[in-house]
Amino acid sequence: MLYRVMDKRELPKLVRAFMEEYEVVAPVKRGGGYIFDVIESPDEIELGYTQTASSPKKYLMPPTETLMKFDAGMNLVEDFTEQVTPRVVFGVHTCDINAMNRLDTALIGGKYVDPYYQARREATIVVGISCVPNSNCFCHLWGADEAQFGYDLFLHDIGEKYLVSMSSVEATNILEAACEISEATDEDRIAFRQATRARQSAFNKDIPDVQDVAMLMDVFHSDPFWEELGSRCLSCSACASVCPTCFCFDIRDVLAPDGKTGERQRTWDACTSPGFAAVTGGHNFRPTGRERVRHRMYHKLNGFMVNHDRMLCVGCGRCVSACKTGINPIEVLQFFKRKGADHAK
Amino acid sequence: MGAFSLITDSERRVPRVVVVGLASCFGCQLQITNAEPYLTQILGQIDLQYWQLVTSEDMPDSYDVAIIEGAVTTRESEETVRAVREKAAHVMAIGACAVTAGVTGMAAPGLVGRAAEVYGDATPDASGELIEPRPVSAVIDVDSEVRCCPIDPLDFVAALQRALFGSNRSPETRTLCSDCKRNETECFFNAGTLCLGLVTRAGCGARCVNLGRPCNGCAGLSPDANLKAARAACETYGVSVSDFDKALEMFNQVNLMET
Repeated sequence: MLYRVMDKRELPKLVRAFMEEYEVVAPVKRGGGYIFDVIESPDEIELGYTQTASSPKKYLMPPTETLMKFDAGMNLVEDFTEQVTPRVVFGVHTCDINAMNRLDTALIGGKYVDPYYQARREATIVVGISCVPNSNCFCHLWGADEAQFGYDLFLHDIGEKYLVSMSSVEATNILEAACEISEATDEDRIAFRQATRARQSAFNKDIPDVQDVAMLMDVFHSDPFWEELGSRCLSCSACASVCPTCFCFDIRDVLAPDGKTGERQRTWDACTSPGFAAVTGGHNFRPTGRERVRHRMYHKLNGFMVNHDRMLCVGCGRCVSACKTGINPIEVLQFFKRKGADHAK
Repeated sequence: MGAFSLITDSERRVPRVVVVGLASCFGCQLQITNAEPYLTQILGQIDLQYWQLVTSEDMPDSYDVAIIEGAVTTRESEETVRAVREKAAHVMAIGACAVTAGVTGMAAPGLVGRAAEVYGDATPDASGELIEPRPVSAVIDVDSEVRCCPIDPLDFVAALQRALFGSNRSPETRTLCSDCKRNETECFFNAGTLCLGLVTRAGCGARCVNLGRPCNGCAGLSPDANLKAARAACETYGVSVSDFDKALEMFNQVNLMET
């Protein structure tokens, strides 16, 4: 990977250069937390953020989007392509970059490509930023604590400077034109190594590192644990809304007040929604919290791994704070840890 | 939810619609008029035969779609909705009072004696024969609903069109919190503030929270509401469980009595 070093004071120049050609979204302060939002000035960016409430997924797959328009009176259908905004998502942590890579796998990596997602993804420049985990972070357990690909630039914080990993020509050209960058010195290399060490040792050690999680999901499929965990579910799907890798959706037709014209919309849906697995005739394949919560954990910690060789969960920890009743993958890991204890029955 | 059968008959006719008001503040009927930019379009799709808010005439004898606002609070209104059910192919309940008994439902526990508290010995005949307030669905089958207090005018327009033309959209039963996450608003519980979104049916888009106010549950409890888990969440976040239960009475008194 090509890399250069940049003084931190150069950063506003890079942001302004992006702003000339792109809409720039970045972590900003909102209330007591952080969100990704469109910025007007580099000063708004909060690169020291720990975690945003939701992920940048919303820029690749909006909560609601129009797929096509129709006119029932004229019997016309208009394939509808929403204007795709060329955009820079600035200051993305490794968990969210890995999450985008997983979305790519699911939505454009298979036989049937999602053109709406693909158009946005291709029009998006991703600038990553290194981070220090908070107590809910467990990206390192799924190998999502490093961004191997899926970004254009990645800024590793090495004190007064950034070690910038450059992965796309487009973004590198903008960087080189806007900022003073230089070759790394031996001192920079040592600073980078120390930063990665500090980060590695900062993860919450109370979150169990368990071997063979995907297989354990199968082995303990019928354990009473799922009844206990599922009985706590509020059926709100807050977990799926904040999850950077939940990509399930519902499609519905929405009529305009004239009763003739309308549009077909896609909107986020989730397997934790009670009606998600309900079918015509009224049968619901996952009628209770037990089945729904277990199903969600299965997709995150087993199903995707079996098909794509990586966990769908990236350990961003957002669901840990979003769920008001404490349902999250850490609970599942704790359960496996208990099952492995010396005196476990 | 399918469109009512008459629309597909060979002898198509413009659907005849009536709007009936029971015990309520009539605010939801008024909300219909707030769909002002679209009213002429809507009236072009239906034959509006009766609207209680704007007429002193009697209801017609036959109609296709009946829109009912308000809770059933008397024997007389119970008879009214039964008669409506026999005539209408599609019955739509609009507003919290009609859907959950709403504020009206707060009078349900200990109803006996409430009239005397207000009127003494002289309860007027116009009060009718009082019964425990109940939603329309407690008396007759309801085909569709527009939730909240008051209803959203465009929600109403959309529901009316679903009744007229059918829809591939199923009613939402998940609770509200996922909408707040989509809106990226801060959770009130994190600040130890009570919010009823944990158990309230989604669909409004969390508009009160967007305006900085906690959810007060006007959309009604979700059929999948998990009260036990919600009470446990209150304890975790330092919110009084009795405040939670008390707050639920405003729009969910009758629901709570059933659970």
